[in-house]
Amino acid sequence: MNAMNTLPKYIVTLCDGPTCMHQRSKTLKAVIEEELKKRGLYETTSLVLSGCLGMCNKSPIVIVNPGYTIYGGVSPEDIPEIVEEHLVKGKPVARLAIEEDYLYNRFYRVFGDVAFFGQQMRIALRNCGIMDPESLDDYLSLRGYEALAKVLTDMSPAQVISEVKKSGLRGRGGAGFLTGLKWENTARQKSDEKFVICNADEGDPGAFMDRSTIEGDPHTVIEGMIIGGYAIGAHRGFVYIRAEYPLAIRRLRKAIDEARREGLLGTTILDSAFSFDIEIKLGAGAFVCGEETALIHSIEGRRGMPRPRPPYPSQKGLWGRPTLINNVETWANIPVIVLDGADWFTTIGTEKSKGTKVFALAGNVQNTGLVEVPMGTTLREIIYDIGGGIPDNKKFKAVQTGGPSGGCLPEQYLDTRVDYESLQAAGSIMGSGGMIVMDEGVCMVNIAKFFLEFTQNESCGKCTPCREGTKRMLEILQRITKGEGIEGDIEKLERLGTMISKASLCGLGQSAPNPVLSTLRHFRAEYEEHIKNKRCPAGTCVDLLSYTITDGCVGCGLCRKKCPVGAISGEPKQRHVIDQAACINCGQCYAACKFNAIQKS
Amino acid sequence: MSLPLEIIKKKRAEAINRIIGRGFLSTKRVYVGMATCEIAAGSKEVMNAFREAIQTGLTDVYLTQKGCAGRCNLEPTVEIVEEGKIPIKYGRVTREKVREIVERHLKKGEVIEEWVIK
Amino acid sequence: MKQMITIYVNDKAYQVESGQTIMQATDGIGFRIPRLCYHPKLSIEGACRVCIVEVEGARNYIASCSYPVNDGMRIYTNTVPLRRARRDIVELILDNHPDDCHTCERDGICELQRLAYSMGIRRRHFEGEKKNYEKDLSSISVIRDPNKCILCGRCVRLCSEVQHVNALGYANRGFQTVVMSAYDRPFSESVCTNCGQCINVCPTAAFVEKNYTQELFDKLNDSSVIKIAQVAPSVRAAIGEAFGIPPGQAFEREVAAALKKLGFTYVFDTQFGADLTIMEEASEFLERIQGNGVLPMVTSCSSAWMKYVEQFYPDLLPNVSTCKSPMSMLSAMAKTYFAEKIKIDPAKICVAAIMCCTAKKYEAARPELMVNGLPATDIVVTTREIAWMIRSAGIDFLHIEGEDFDAPLGLSSGAGAIFGVTGGVMEAAIRTAYELYTGETLIDIEVNAIRGFQGIKEGKVLMDGKEIRVAVVHGLGHVYQILDMVRNEPGRFHFIEIMGCPGGCIGGGGQPYAGSNSVPLDEEVLQKRAQALYGLDRERTFRRSHENPHVQKLYKEFLGRPLSSLSHKLLHTHYTPKEPRGIITREQTA
Repeated sequence: MNAMNTLPKYIVTLCDGPTCMHQRSKTLKAVIEEELKKRGLYETTSLVLSGCLGMCNKSPIVIVNPGYTIYGGVSPEDIPEIVEEHLVKGKPVARLAIEEDYLYNRFYRVFGDVAFFGQQMRIALRNCGIMDPESLDDYLSLRGYEALAKVLTDMSPAQVISEVKKSGLRGRGGAGFLTGLKWENTARQKSDEKFVICNADEGDPGAFMDRSTIEGDPHTVIEGMIIGGYAIGAHRGFVYIRAEYPLAIRRLRKAIDEARREGLLGTTILDSAFSFDIEIKLGAGAFVCGEETALIHSIEGRRGMPRPRPPYPSQKGLWGRPTLINNVETWANIPVIVLDGADWFTTIGTEKSKGTKVFALAGNVQNTGLVEVPMGTTLREIIYDIGGGIPDNKKFKAVQTGGPSGGCLPEQYLDTRVDYESLQAAGSIMGSGGMIVMDEGVCMVNIAKFFLEFTQNESCGKCTPCREGTKRMLEILQRITKGEGIEGDIEKLERLGTMISKASLCGLGQSAPNPVLSTLRHFRAEYEEHIKNKRCPAGTCVDLLSYTITDGCVGCGLCRKKCPVGAISGEPKQRHVIDQAACINCGQCYAACKFNAIQKS
Repeated sequence: MSLPLEIIKKKRAEAINRIIGRGFLSTKRVYVGMATCEIAAGSKEVMNAFREAIQTGLTDVYLTQKGCAGRCNLEPTVEIVEEGKIPIKYGRVTREKVREIVERHLKKGEVIEEWVIK
Repeated sequence: MKQMITIYVNDKAYQVESGQTIMQATDGIGFRIPRLCYHPKLSIEGACRVCIVEVEGARNYIASCSYPVNDGMRIYTNTVPLRRARRDIVELILDNHPDDCHTCERDGICELQRLAYSMGIRRRHFEGEKKNYEKDLSSISVIRDPNKCILCGRCVRLCSEVQHVNALGYANRGFQTVVMSAYDRPFSESVCTNCGQCINVCPTAAFVEKNYTQELFDKLNDSSVIKIAQVAPSVRAAIGEAFGIPPGQAFEREVAAALKKLGFTYVFDTQFGADLTIMEEASEFLERIQGNGVLPMVTSCSSAWMKYVEQFYPDLLPNVSTCKSPMSMLSAMAKTYFAEKIKIDPAKICVAAIMCCTAKKYEAARPELMVNGLPATDIVVTTREIAWMIRSAGIDFLHIEGEDFDAPLGLSSGAGAIFGVTGGVMEAAIRTAYELYTGETLIDIEVNAIRGFQGIKEGKVLMDGKEIRVAVVHGLGHVYQILDMVRNEPGRFHFIEIMGCPGGCIGGGGQPYAGSNSVPLDEEVLQKRAQALYGLDRERTFRRSHENPHVQKLYKEFLGRPLSSLSHKLLHTHYTPKEPRGIITREQTA
């Protein structure tokens, strides 16, 4: 993009998606720049390369804003005409304009010019931020419930399932099971009753994809669930959502009421023969209740503890009946797949992971926020192009994907593509979409301890490896970060970690050791440094720090006054000393010294 | 009996009419982020400030809430959309900023560039 | 028609039935994969992860207790990494378990100990913090020690699935997970019926009976008191197991002899009390079918059942027979009839009941069962406790010369013996009621329709052309079905026997622990104990309670006749509805 000091008059967006013709758009960019300069428009026009725009069959794509005119199949020869007619005279070139009205487009009409958004592709979050979530009218105006109407008018349940299967959509809750297959399995079961569940028990610390979706576009989830119910032959659905999301619950409740009032939910939906209704079940906030069998137990009024599978919920779920359970983001994709078609959906993403994935980008990154990108986007693109890189000129150290039980990947993995298989191969997981960036100031042992503390606390306590094993791992990590690590600790961590991931009952236990195992794999030296030399290279493990006063000390006495435990002594105007035995490593002296005379090591 | 697709098309037309009835065709549309994260960052105050401006005479503006677009560290966010122009997105909006946005942007059409998310 | 499939276990092919779990299939072909939380009578928990195996193509280990076999499946049960994982899992359990085996009640008969041994855990790798909870000593019957709990969940499942009492559940998360009663109320204030089945299924000593052996030894050594013992039928049917004898052998006279050696002045037989119960209960039943009282009549011998009905079905209390249990009847006679006979102040008599049951401890403490201001039964010890006392006192039980029970409360009929097994009370009652009603002797006295281990059994008896419809239930988990029938169809049955424990008293919560080759609640073991009691019945000269000459004498000398006013005073009781406790009501929290 050319540097702009003033707001542009026009924004020209070029699709630079991974499935688009990479080369051609780059060539086009040069041609456009050339032409703009020639016409003296370079300073008032913003030229943006965007992530996949999902119109690959008409590539290359050029979009001109305002007005959101989409030009398809643009060749370098077309550029002078577009610039002359559209950018100079303000008249879109009808010959090249294409009518592509994908559901996600509307978001880009508003946000496409901002790099943070322009590089994303919003399918699940297509309406978040552009409509009033408490207005059914707004949703209807954005072709809301049209997918449902289409399904009820034109498609048999089998056709719906076949479309979802064809789309290649995989569960966005983390495990990545093929959604269509799950639907088919549930549809195949014979039962007097079946159920549909939306898993909105978003428990990863720092993750808020589901909350944002429901708060920003509750009807999408409802519409997806009704379509799911139609496909498998269910008439009742449940949204399991944590009670600490009061606004999301309120909006969802309102949306359900309004949908019912408008005949979009309840008996004989849209005058068809199909009936379906949705109830909201509040969860008390246990992390493990995101696990499907634990969630089902919780809805049944029992303690949220997972049970062995098989039988899978598709066979025996809620109250022993076949149950289709999908996560919020998965449901939010369904109306798009129905309306824009599986054929279109499969053009986005990689061979085995289709569509997009929402991440909650957080940690030491410039632009924190919700990021939805096509599968196959690299970690580097997310962290640097969208996230704006690491703040304060610090160095990137690691990125953790997949929430508290995801793995931490170092710099050499930045070109890993985000899809289920690639992340797994790198030693992490897709998870439900947490993405935490860490800079050089983060101690990997400490971070592994932090995440393990979380999973240990949230373990349901049912199976031995997770309940007892993670506790022992945590104790070892606590020792190491206190400088009490001993020879053999790393081997014990590996031994326990491997056993826990292979022997635990549910996904929580199976993935709990990931942060430890992945940091052992990629940052082993840091562990060894803690254990052998009692040193924390990142300088964050408080018990391993030591502060000393150097020759630079002028004897001002400020550190002595600041020290909360009286560990610093010295005569005025003479070099002060820290009594290492009394020092609690709080760092107050370090922060107070105006002469940089205190050394932290 | 109508087909579901016909019903939904009718419903959509009615919905759009209702939205227009609420002033959607005003020259400027103002969207205030009102998800939990935005509210935590202070968007209720922002919303109230716009409401007060309308109550005290600001016209030709369609004010509505919206969900979170996902730009966390710049919340609360406000979009001002005008037909034929690039939508303007303001970040870290406060009650004080609203006063200026109302005076300068909504009334006089001047974009306050230093607050715009780029 | 079961379909046969081929599975490969450690690379060897086997034909097994489809539809089974890996564990079921391998159990049938000569394997026994190590296991802990699994119990054949309970739902699959999959919690301990001890029974994991490797399955070709699976990324993770598979819990064999829950995963179904499929054709061509290749299972490995003993690979080196698997053995190590299994070992580590068991070590993790040990690492959070008190290291006090030597002083533990279950030393030597602990499933965890056996498992740890067979896993080859000879040193520790992962020691760390251990859980630290207070023991719950509040209950008169059952002690709960969360420190010994390994969270296998058998007790929770048993209490819910087999007994339908739901006195136990999990609380807290992660390392803090603990089994407790609702709202962590003391166990004595919970809905626990004191049946003690949690003790039977617990692999460790997280549940044990409240032990009264020291109190009993103290009494036995007190020369100022008359020490009277009474022995429940099922004790003799199972006590041999505590001395290593395979199940199925009755030790009747041996028990009497051992108790005398322990220092009891008189050894009476609870079976005498059973005969007495039949005299009263059969008479009460005849009164009721002649229009005086509510039908169907339900038996009242089982202490766990009594607390259950008071808590959960108080509206049906009028249906419950007013007869005290055989234990309480015998104790009442010991402190009145017998005390008068030997001219001793009843306050100087200590009656100790040797019971197969933990709930009898609770029953003995019920104030409404006091006789002339004294507790009728002073101490209740279980089969396990008495076996330990015999051993501890240096008595050679296996080589002991049998002795008779003492008169006048020691002679019993065969009907009294079968009281210990499900259906026995009903069968005994029919034998007597038939004769009392028709004036004729029932010839075919073995009522097979109500024998056996089905949860609910139904039968019919013709008495002078009148059809008497009876039902027999054992295990509290089946009770709701029959009681719902009583509520909805009061005329369906005339007489119902309910015993709280699976199998009846022979499966009581105070019986010897399952040995190393058996599992708790094993039906085969219960069958053998039942056969031991049926054997005693067949060997008896008198097989009907009313034929017991000492019972006849008791009525002649003391009580007069069944249901006399003295009988009513000493042998009958009343019931009071109990709030389901352990559940804090809204009013209480307000």
